[in-house]
Amino acid sequence: MGILKLENVAYRYKDAPKDKYVFKNINYEFEQGKMYAIKGKSGSGKTTLLSLITGLEKCTEGHVFYDGKDLKKMNLDKYRNTEIGIVFQSYNLLPRLTAIENVILSMDVSKVKVTNKKQKALELIKSVGLSEEHCNRRILKLSGGEQQRIAIARSLSYNPKIIIADEPTGNLDKDTEAEILGIFKHLAKDENKCIIIVTHSQNVCNEVDVIYELK
Amino acid sequence: MYILKNSLISIIRNKGRNILIGIIILVISCSATVTLAIRNTANKLVKNYEEAHDIIATISFNRQQLSNNFKGGEDARKENIEAFNNIEAITIDAVKKYGESDYLKDYYYVYATSLNSETLTKATDSFEYEVEDRQTTTSSSTTTEGGGNYGMGRPMQGEGGMHTITNNNTTTVITRSKEIFQSSRNLTGDFELDGYSSYDAMTNFVDGTYQISDGEMITDFSNLECVISSELASLNEISVGDTITLKNDNIEKTYDFTVKGIYKDNSNENDSINMYSPSANQIITGSSVIEKLVEDDSSLVTNVTPSFILKDEGVIEAFSSELKEKGLNEYYAVNTNLDQIESATKSIENVKTFATTFLIITLIIASIVLFVINMINIRERKYEIGVFRTIGVSKFKLTMQFVLEILIVSIICLSIGAVTGAFLSKPVGNSLLKSEIETSKNAEQEISNNFGRGDKMGPMEMNHNGMVNVTEIDSIDAVVDFTVIAQLLGIGIFLSLISSLASMISIQRFSPLTILKERS
Repeated sequence: MGILKLENVAYRYKDAPKDKYVFKNINYEFEQGKMYAIKGKSGSGKTTLLSLITGLEKCTEGHVFYDGKDLKKMNLDKYRNTEIGIVFQSYNLLPRLTAIENVILSMDVSKVKVTNKKQKALELIKSVGLSEEHCNRRILKLSGGEQQRIAIARSLSYNPKIIIADEPTGNLDKDTEAEILGIFKHLAKDENKCIIIVTHSQNVCNEVDVIYELK
Repeated sequence: MYILKNSLISIIRNKGRNILIGIIILVISCSATVTLAIRNTANKLVKNYEEAHDIIATISFNRQQLSNNFKGGEDARKENIEAFNNIEAITIDAVKKYGESDYLKDYYYVYATSLNSETLTKATDSFEYEVEDRQTTTSSSTTTEGGGNYGMGRPMQGEGGMHTITNNNTTTVITRSKEIFQSSRNLTGDFELDGYSSYDAMTNFVDGTYQISDGEMITDFSNLECVISSELASLNEISVGDTITLKNDNIEKTYDFTVKGIYKDNSNENDSINMYSPSANQIITGSSVIEKLVEDDSSLVTNVTPSFILKDEGVIEAFSSELKEKGLNEYYAVNTNLDQIESATKSIENVKTFATTFLIITLIIASIVLFVINMINIRERKYEIGVFRTIGVSKFKLTMQFVLEILIVSIICLSIGAVTGAFLSKPVGNSLLKSEIETSKNAEQEISNNFGRGDKMGPMEMNHNGMVNVTEIDSIDAVVDFTVIAQLLGIGIFLSLISSLASMISIQRFSPLTILKERS
């Protein structure tokens, strides 16, 4: 059984006409240890679907189940800070904090039990290919690729089962894109994470196990 | 815990914004401390003053009422005078009856009469002297000499007289008569005997107008004990322990009073030009002594001045009505010292009102400014809100973080402002009060000038019979106490909440995804 299941999911904006859905009857299932790509044209509802999976929005019809539990019945703040890691195209890190502080903040919010949070954050940052030197830099002093690695490290800080990324390589060059995809692949295969990437990049689609297309 | 940590990091790393907010709060807290300290101290002063000064009712003659009932025309004059004579004087029994009222805390009275003395010399700036007029007749001429006397100040015995000396062809007619040499000011002849019902009734001693300079105040209000003025004592060489004899001429009875003390009248500096103070012939004794004198001679002319201490200002009307019901003549009115008390606290009340108004205006302006600053701040930090919400920070915790940021800045700045305000409140308070008193006095001075009385009129000089002089509060000495600190803390929390309102609303309203999309 998959860790995440979308059952007859449909979404309509609140101010839209009753028959005007962004998408309808979505039935996807996601498993741990695999990489997924959700692709589609601009305006097809990729980011909206991401927001339903992450609990930032609620679906108009249907259900999203995480580990067999309906998201509608779950504390979505707790779900986001313990069960699912989110990586955005524009990284969404706090610029007033340093790289390591962003990772530690995420641990604080999730209340994960770690003896030495700083040490753990350092390990995570190293695991995404950055050095100790990057740790104490403010976010804006880091390159796009470095920021995206910090965003991935942050999403891993509370060891979630799912990592969902919205166009994670959209702002990166090809080499960096390959490095980032390598990290995701490692997380899926070696760390048994379920990686869901919302993208329209063919390079990304070539690296994943399953592709869902929104029309 | 991470909320507090994030708040502190945010405060430290957003110095510009927080310094701006801090300066505004500092100014507010400083002015709030000053105004609260002034307001609270003024409240206490007024309360203490009102507690210390009882509302005292007295009975006075209502001349207005009398003139309303006057009949016009020359023929009615006699009738009017007779009507006036028929108005009953307030008796001691009536005063005692009025005193038994539920509206009163206490009452006291001065029961006065006057007696003469054959052994005491009155303290007066007039004296009698003998004038001798000689008319000499000779066979050829008549000469008249006048103005001779036998010594000034020596009272003449008898009613004067005339005798004739004939010598050879000269006949001298000597006419002796008494003349009074006196200043143009009015004089009193008798010794005024004031019988006080209690020490409270001795208002002149209570307010310091009179002061015992030798001996002590009478201890027994029914014995023939008395206290006399230093002027009378000096004139008659009387010491404490001596006995003075007063006489009721009506019944030819004398009374020996033991002098227990000698008092000094401190008010004479302000009197009109007299050799002796008006109190020089005033002899102080107990009211029971006067009652005994009246028992001996019911025709003795007496005068009673009652003072009724009311429970509070709300019973004035009720007490007045009760006196009417108990038989107080329509020609008498009940007056109180309420106006005097209110006048004495007027300046401080004005300063209090000013402080309160200033505080309210400051708080309104500050709230608006802080709200606007925070609204701008929230717009700038919209992205931050989106990120926090995305990583699973609840709306409540996020709101708490924003409120905490403002609260920390507020508490630091309030503390600094409170200390600064504590130093400023005393001089500012006194300066405001001084300015208020000066304004008030200038207005009074102007009125006095209009009456051609210079500086001789004003609330400081008002003195009602039977009432303690009410003096104006002229110093506020505002202090920052626990109440001010508590109120300041309340203001700090209020301002923090008001200024955080923008962030509270925004956090509830913003969709994190929309924020992040906008950012992208």
